[in-house]
Amino acid sequence: MKPLVQRVVLAALAVVLAGEPALAETAAGGGEGLWYKGLIALAAGLGLGIAAFGAALAQGRATAAAMESIGRNPNSADRIFTPLIVGLALMEALALYALVIAFFLQGKV
Amino acid sequence: MDEHAPFSWFSAVPLPLSASTALFVALLLAAFAWAMHRRLSPTDRALEPDDGTTLRNVGEAFVEMIQGLAEGVIGHHAERYVPLLGSFFAFILVANLIGLVPGFAPPTADFNVTFALGVVSFVAYHAYGLRAHGVGAYVKHFLGPVVFLAPLMLVIELFSHSFRPVSLGIRLFANMFADHRVVEIFTDLTKVAIPVVFYVLGAFVAVVQAFVFTMLSAIYIALAVSHE
Repeated sequence: MKPLVQRVVLAALAVVLAGEPALAETAAGGGEGLWYKGLIALAAGLGLGIAAFGAALAQGRATAAAMESIGRNPNSADRIFTPLIVGLALMEALALYALVIAFFLQGKV
Repeated sequence: MDEHAPFSWFSAVPLPLSASTALFVALLLAAFAWAMHRRLSPTDRALEPDDGTTLRNVGEAFVEMIQGLAEGVIGHHAERYVPLLGSFFAFILVANLIGLVPGFAPPTADFNVTFALGVVSFVAYHAYGLRAHGVGAYVKHFLGPVVFLAPLMLVIELFSHSFRPVSLGIRLFANMFADHRVVEIFTDLTKVAIPVVFYVLGAFVAVVQAFVFTMLSAIYIALAVSHE
């Protein structure tokens, strides 16, 4: 089966790499308003990055605490999982508020 | 990415896409409920459970899960709130998951739909709180523990309460919208095999977001109804 597996993998790779679309670059607009748009674009990207960083930090701490308590008492894993997921979703929501703002800003660029 | 009008089977219907898909989800749930009713109405046969995964067992397991959630969060008289919480969970779960089927867009990827769900949750928990405590005692909850802090507490409480439906709506909307766009972009970029990873992520996020919405609604109801 090995030559067949190799051929299948090569075919899949060929499809993936051939399907990469040429990312069209939009030409620069007027020279004056361009740096405002640059600031807006920078704000969209950096704001989301900072929000993702904060969310990842907090979620890491929550997961670490959950892992430690599961390690201490392995039978409690099911009862810890649900509050952990709810807490992670609430922290994720804060990062998602920044994503919504980033979408608004990106629409104005 | 050229145009942003995705194809859906409901594009032919002259309603907004999220509205027609939401109606379709509601029809699916109504069909499920009718099938459950047909199987449960002959009560002499309904007492013993079936073998294996039948429609009835799925429905009963679902209701038991919602009831366990409501009892864990709300406490006594939890069965009054199970219909609303079950409706939220079932509708949001099916609406989220239908976005993973090719040719459908999730209705919860539209902020109007999710904000409407948030407003329903908001009106519901205030109505339950007013019914449980009476109008005067419920408004006194907004004033805080000490009487001379009442103006400050009122402003803080009003603001935090009015933010709740917005946060419920934005959380669900942003999760579903971003997830659908990610699946769309990666299916456009790499046509084979790699979008499966994002489908898995999408399925996980769909279930978790339905659960979080229902859990938060249950918590708000519990806060409004609590007797202490």
